[in-house]
Amino acid sequence: MIIAKIKPLEEVQAMIKDFKRILNVGCAGCTAICLAGGQKEVETLNTKLAVSFKEEITSPLIEGFTVERQCEVQFLAELDPMVEDYDALLSMACGAGVQFLAERFPDMKVFPAVNTTFVGINRDIGWYEERCQCCGECVLAITGGICPVTMCAKVLFNGPCGGSQDGHCEVDKNIPCAWVNIYKRLKAQGRLEQILSVFPARDWKNQTQGTFVLEEYQDRYSYKDKEGSQK
Amino acid sequence: MTETTLRPIDVKKIQEMLTLKKSKMKVLLSFCAHCGLCAESCFLYRNHLDPKYVPAYKAINSLGKIYKKKGKVDREQLEEMKELIFKNCVLCGRCYCPLGIDIPSMISLARTICRSQGVFGVFPYAVGEP
Amino acid sequence: MKSGSNLEKILAKSIFAVTGELGPPRGADLDAIREKAKHLKGMVDSVNITDNQTAVVRMASWAASLIAIQECLEPNYQMVCRDRNRIAMQSDILGAYTLGIRNMLCLSGDHQMFGDHPYSKKVFDIDSMQLISMVRKMRDDGRFLNGQEITKPPRMFIGAAANPFGDPHEFRVFRLAKKIAAGADFIQTQCIYNMNRFREFMKQANDMGLTEKIYILAGVTPMKSLGMARYMQKNVPGMDVPEEVIKRIEGVDKKKQASEGIKMCCEQIEEFKEMKGIAGVHLMAIEWEHRVPEIVEQAKLLPRPNPKDLE
Repeated sequence: MIIAKIKPLEEVQAMIKDFKRILNVGCAGCTAICLAGGQKEVETLNTKLAVSFKEEITSPLIEGFTVERQCEVQFLAELDPMVEDYDALLSMACGAGVQFLAERFPDMKVFPAVNTTFVGINRDIGWYEERCQCCGECVLAITGGICPVTMCAKVLFNGPCGGSQDGHCEVDKNIPCAWVNIYKRLKAQGRLEQILSVFPARDWKNQTQGTFVLEEYQDRYSYKDKEGSQK
Repeated sequence: MTETTLRPIDVKKIQEMLTLKKSKMKVLLSFCAHCGLCAESCFLYRNHLDPKYVPAYKAINSLGKIYKKKGKVDREQLEEMKELIFKNCVLCGRCYCPLGIDIPSMISLARTICRSQGVFGVFPYAVGEP
Repeated sequence: MKSGSNLEKILAKSIFAVTGELGPPRGADLDAIREKAKHLKGMVDSVNITDNQTAVVRMASWAASLIAIQECLEPNYQMVCRDRNRIAMQSDILGAYTLGIRNMLCLSGDHQMFGDHPYSKKVFDIDSMQLISMVRKMRDDGRFLNGQEITKPPRMFIGAAANPFGDPHEFRVFRLAKKIAAGADFIQTQCIYNMNRFREFMKQANDMGLTEKIYILAGVTPMKSLGMARYMQKNVPGMDVPEEVIKRIEGVDKKKQASEGIKMCCEQIEEFKEMKGIAGVHLMAIEWEHRVPEIVEQAKLLPRPNPKDLE
């Protein structure tokens, strides 16, 4: 799921300091799950901001409201009757949610209160690890379920490199070498031949912003899929 | 613990929130024919085959209850519906109702009301665990 | 002949080859390169020109390679995968070949976090294995990576690196096999201190028939001091320095440590000359280029064949 981390308080404060009435919009989706931007975090941030503005001559009014997911129209729509009461919106959703919010209310100044960090797993409460960089061409079948794009610092497809030592990456002793792990897993499963031949240069397909409509829904939107029309 | 968990239930606030989707709630409570089609379309129900996962059940026993009590619920009652709306539903939005009841919207409002009173779902979704 | 380079001819004639290393300067400094080249002229058959080694910005390896040629030193033009995508790489290869560069080294490159611009954006569009394949495709098929024809194909002699001491240990020789399959013509290993482990590696390589398909140059770096030996042991990824090596340097007087280091290096070279499957030695006397003539002489590697005599 998408993992985000709250921005430093000073940074958020600097974003909103010139506004009088701010709505802090939380998200009960990914950012709530990773304890960065759910309702509790909205309340905590609002409290901290109120305290930080106490010294100022005029402190802004900061209120909070949490929607289920800021990446979906039906939930964002709940904000429609509310936004006109404010002159700025703070969003604790991931980058996608912030942008969707800004798109829905183009006249509102929208600010992100969290940094979206990665697509990852929840090892345990408060502990998150990156696992996927959305390259769009999953090769996990070949590498035994370990991603060479995300987990190898050098994005090798024919690793490991010469810097791998004692099973960890040359960059940081705490980072395991992805290719050592790929090797171990494939060996244990008797699938080592998958990495014995040279994996050819791959086409990077996530270099422009992506949009797609599932085939079964294309008629609904009179959408002509680029690839479909070429067939 | 945030402030909201220690404050008493703010009935007025709940009543305000209920007005947001008043017409939809009326539709839910009067039109639901218990046809079970929403259950067919809910993957959680299909996995568990437990009535507590039926979308209409979840909506009626959460938001429906709050509405019937005209917002005058106590903390225990809100805690009771936590399982239905936070654990038994992921708000994927795929539930289908032939009568046009907007079930996700109902459950979403139930969640908003609960959260506003400091009743949260917990992650991982395990009812009662910190 | 694939490229007709000096190095290729020497290796083809089964003459024990010697390559060196030259790190370009951290400035637009022509004299710095000439100074280093001075010591290496006539001492080595070709010299590695490193590419922003340890991710620290230095003069481009193609530029320093051209200067090497001007100084009558044959360069091994190093290209790493960290900083360039396939477009820039193919473009640079065309330019390099046009201006007389004939040997290439295809490496992954040290991660940018090590260097002086740690938060620059990494490239790693293709990895070293894919780069080797690409250069071979340009040379043997006369085609770019996308399959389109190159009007005048560059014909490089393709080198790669091998680290017999990296992890996983058992996989290293298979990785060597992959590099051969990808199209590498010669290999330079990381500098070797653990001779036992290296002998094992070479045995495997020989048993698999790999040494008949590729020229392997064993890497050596003489220890300048005890401090250097300890540093290499603890701080350099992929480096295996056994305790005996440390003890030997420790055992001599501080002033004599450098000579002892050179002595040990020469002993290794003597063994490499006789070792099955080893076609030469890669001498990395980093920031110690002025001692190369002495080392090469002591190791009885002189005189180097004159390129003119190799026709």
